[in-house]
Amino acid sequence: MPTDATKKGDTPAEVYLYNEFRAINAHVPRRRKSIEELLGESAPQIDCGDGSTHFFRKKELQLLADMLDEEERKDFMLPMLIEVSSRDNSYAVPSPGGTEAKVLSKICGTNLSPVMNRVTLFKPHLSVIRSVLKTCTQYIFVA
Amino acid sequence: MAIKIQVPRPTKMELSRLKKRHKLATRIQKIVKDRLSLLIMEFLQTVKECAAVRERLLADFSEAYRAYSVAFGYHGKTPLEKEMALSEMPFTVSSGTRNVAGVKLPFFEIEKGEAATAQLRNRIDGSSVLDQSIEQSRKCLETIIQLTELQNSLDLLGTEINKVKRVNNALEFIVIPALDVTIRYLNMKFEERDREETARLKYVKQLLERKEAHAY
Repeated sequence: MPTDATKKGDTPAEVYLYNEFRAINAHVPRRRKSIEELLGESAPQIDCGDGSTHFFRKKELQLLADMLDEEERKDFMLPMLIEVSSRDNSYAVPSPGGTEAKVLSKICGTNLSPVMNRVTLFKPHLSVIRSVLKTCTQYIFVA
Repeated sequence: MAIKIQVPRPTKMELSRLKKRHKLATRIQKIVKDRLSLLIMEFLQTVKECAAVRERLLADFSEAYRAYSVAFGYHGKTPLEKEMALSEMPFTVSSGTRNVAGVKLPFFEIEKGEAATAQLRNRIDGSSVLDQSIEQSRKCLETIIQLTELQNSLDLLGTEINKVKRVNNALEFIVIPALDVTIRYLNMKFEERDREETARLKYVKQLLERKEAHAY
């Protein structure tokens, strides 16, 4: 008798639950691009995991580019992934170089410093960020 | 009240399988709930934006009509129609999709350019009133495109919220309670079996003791 939900021969309920879990993060991009690369494209876009295409608004890219210097533009990858953790109901943006923290601080108008390479966000921040950077941010669900 | 899931045989293996399923369902339900709250947040934001753009569109239209009627009075019907026909909208609209928590929303971007018929317009016959009415018409078109995107996004987000809500409710009120009830049933069954086993052992022990007593 199978004990793992992912094994062959599972009940439909188990298969459904597993598929639901996979479908939630199907929109995550296959490969992220730097802002410099995106600014060079006539129609800035990336391919998502589910086969769809995600387009970026040029205005938003320009806004981000104005906030960064030459070096930062090469390293700053888009879309920014907002991790939604169901375990502790928190939102965080990975910020390995601190560039994301700088950008988010400017947008939110508060000082957001990264702790262990992650910028923790609260819901009011989230709505501000999402209203300014609609196409440059994406949600990723973490269990 | 939750209905118990039919288990073929009440075994420990089945219980561990059900516990795993319960854990998975709880995890998914939490994530689905988070997704639902994010989608609702996006929906409310889009509603606000939609209302603002709609208001702006109404203002733009009233401005455009005012400018148009002034130009109509100033130039007359034929020159105005001629100028309007030559006032090509100098922009292109690129369309695509953007992804919000798994929902594909429409995306329109307006790119301004140079009108091909700009040179054909007679500047001597024209006036600032005419230019203003043309400019207002362009503004209206831009706002209409923006409103189209928002209105469509609103529809798609609403449909997705309904779907996610249904999944969340199914998990919260049917799947998880049913698993809870079944796990509790199996636990009780095992406890009962243990108690029966203890009673049986005690009885056997008693019988053996009685047998031994009779043997002497």
